[in-house]
Amino acid sequence: MKRILSVRSFVFIACTLALSIMLYPAGTRAQAPIKVGIIDTYSGPPTTFTYDVRDAFKLAIDEVNAKGGVLKRKIEFTTRDDKFKVDVCLSMAKELIMMEKVDILMGTINSAGTLAVSEYCKTEKIPFIVTFSKSEKITGEKGHRYVFSVTENTAMIGKAAAAGLAKRPFVKYWIAGDDYEYGHALADGVWNNLKKLKSGVELIGQSWWKVGEPDLTPYLTAISTAKPDAVIFATGAASMVNAMKFAKATGFAEKIPMFIHTATELSTLAPLGLDAPEKVIGTSNYHFYYPDTPKNKAFAKAFKDAYGREPKVGALYGYLAAQFITKALEKAGTMDREKFIDALGGLKVDSPIGEIEMRAFDHQAMLPMYMGMTKKVAEYPFLIATDIVTIPGKDVMPSIEDIKKARGQ
Amino acid sequence: MFGPAELISQLLVGISRSMILFIVCAGLSFVLGVLRVPNIAHGSLYMIGAFTTFSITKMFAGSAGFWIALIVAPLLVAVVSLVAERALFCHLYEREHLMLLLFTFAISLILGDLVKIVWGAEYKSVSAPALLKGSISLFGASFPRYNLFLILVGPLVAIAIWLFTNKTKIGKISRAAAVDREMVGVLGINVSWVFAIAFVIGCYLAGVGGALVAPTVSITLGMDHTLIIEAFLIVIIGGLGNMWGALVGSLIFGITHSFGVLFWPQFAIVFPYIAVVIVLLLRPKGLLKSVW
Repeated sequence: MKRILSVRSFVFIACTLALSIMLYPAGTRAQAPIKVGIIDTYSGPPTTFTYDVRDAFKLAIDEVNAKGGVLKRKIEFTTRDDKFKVDVCLSMAKELIMMEKVDILMGTINSAGTLAVSEYCKTEKIPFIVTFSKSEKITGEKGHRYVFSVTENTAMIGKAAAAGLAKRPFVKYWIAGDDYEYGHALADGVWNNLKKLKSGVELIGQSWWKVGEPDLTPYLTAISTAKPDAVIFATGAASMVNAMKFAKATGFAEKIPMFIHTATELSTLAPLGLDAPEKVIGTSNYHFYYPDTPKNKAFAKAFKDAYGREPKVGALYGYLAAQFITKALEKAGTMDREKFIDALGGLKVDSPIGEIEMRAFDHQAMLPMYMGMTKKVAEYPFLIATDIVTIPGKDVMPSIEDIKKARGQ
Repeated sequence: MFGPAELISQLLVGISRSMILFIVCAGLSFVLGVLRVPNIAHGSLYMIGAFTTFSITKMFAGSAGFWIALIVAPLLVAVVSLVAERALFCHLYEREHLMLLLFTFAISLILGDLVKIVWGAEYKSVSAPALLKGSISLFGASFPRYNLFLILVGPLVAIAIWLFTNKTKIGKISRAAAVDREMVGVLGINVSWVFAIAFVIGCYLAGVGGALVAPTVSITLGMDHTLIIEAFLIVIIGGLGNMWGALVGSLIFGITHSFGVLFWPQFAIVFPYIAVVIVLLLRPKGLLKSVW
């Protein structure tokens, strides 16, 4: 019987078929979007900060996608609410990685949650970009190849505040703040750096109130009887507004100079309106009105046009995350996670506040800090920062030796 | 180390904080006394009072908004509580305390979420009216005018509650129901409505507390939980259901705290709780006579 197909042609057809089957999904995969998963707190008070991160990220990603995406692929993102809980945070991270199969993970505002997710990403080898958590452990002691931070941390805040305060004539300080990890880490950061920079400074007392303490009047009246030259407030989000309010009501702010990290930030000043005290010294990574450059103006305008409000500091973090992701993908030329990470370390991107570098050693974005003083102005229904001094990123970053020491290397 | 001016001003600061606690706790204690309901949602009503005050002050320009809010916000809270009482609470008075505790806790979570839906999650801030802004000099120490106002309002509220419970018919019936509710029913009085009125009055006081506290804090989700724990402690050390007990408890809580802050600021948080422990060790049923 004559064979219909020769053995050789059978093998040829079979191979062609097998090859095309193997290649087909790869072909469609090239068109599939790059998936970013965001875990953050989208319920409760932290949303004051997290919504801006998400909204600015979306704005930047929409722009990239409108131009055809990156590597000819669109970037797509999906969000999960961690409810400010560590366990929820971690299970959401697992869900995004295992079920949604995201390529890159982003978030969160809860330091403990971030550290847990970071450990998980280390074992799963998933790039994780931290957007708001301030613990210096994230890129310090607990840092690793897969974690990056586009936000300041307590070590940077401490160095920046100390650099700014050392130039002022204060000698006798009082420290007051929220009695929890962030409060103490912030206070230690500022004080230890200040002691190094300026000899003779003296800590004459401390007050610590419970997180969410509704009435700070007794604390402020007690501090004013001790007559310090200045007070360093180490307060987290909710108490910040309270501290400012009481400082004004008790007349404290007029008598004693106060430093509060983010006192000059819009997240603190917007809810207070014109009730905020003037002359409070504060630090922040971002102001929508400073630096007064076309780039920043354009960013603030685009954000306001899209969402009807001025961008707060979170918007800078969201924008930076989007920039670092797209530029690193362009540089790597592929969504291979290891190559993406190699590309991201040491990468420099343009931003509303100028060029920002992702330090290769610890994967910490080298953000400058702006120290200013609150002031009423006619243009806005809230106070703004004036007399702004820029402390450059390189002066704010913890040294590589410090990081090595923290990691026990 | 501290002059008399500092001590007096710190004492006054403590008393002014006590006044807000007292107003809220008097309401909680009243509900506990008459209805025997440990109402955890009382804190949520206080929070609603503060948020409503914020909304009302936004509607009117200048200081008028605050004064209007001080009248209207507690009334709105009373309306919310009346709805809750008629729809839910009135069916559950006979249940055991644990059940009521869980039930009111659930209500507090629901109200918390409702507040988030209505007002959003952002911090809110209310300005003190122009008359009460800034501070005055008191024996050389500066003292916020608004706190002085609170010190004046507290006793007025205490007198109003006393007049209500002792001089009005419904007040007397409420007190009688607190001691023996069966007897009040036997006398042909509609106990269900007595309870409704008592509940609404208690909640109204939570609203007054919320409105009064609004200019002094950042109004935020979670302010209910911070308060309710302190409020229960105060009601317990004062004597359950006793209005004067709520006053004494609030003063102990507020004053130990403010002096704690002055003398030992790092550990100030614990002083009011130490006071609570001492009171409970010496007088486990509270300082004044409990109606339970």
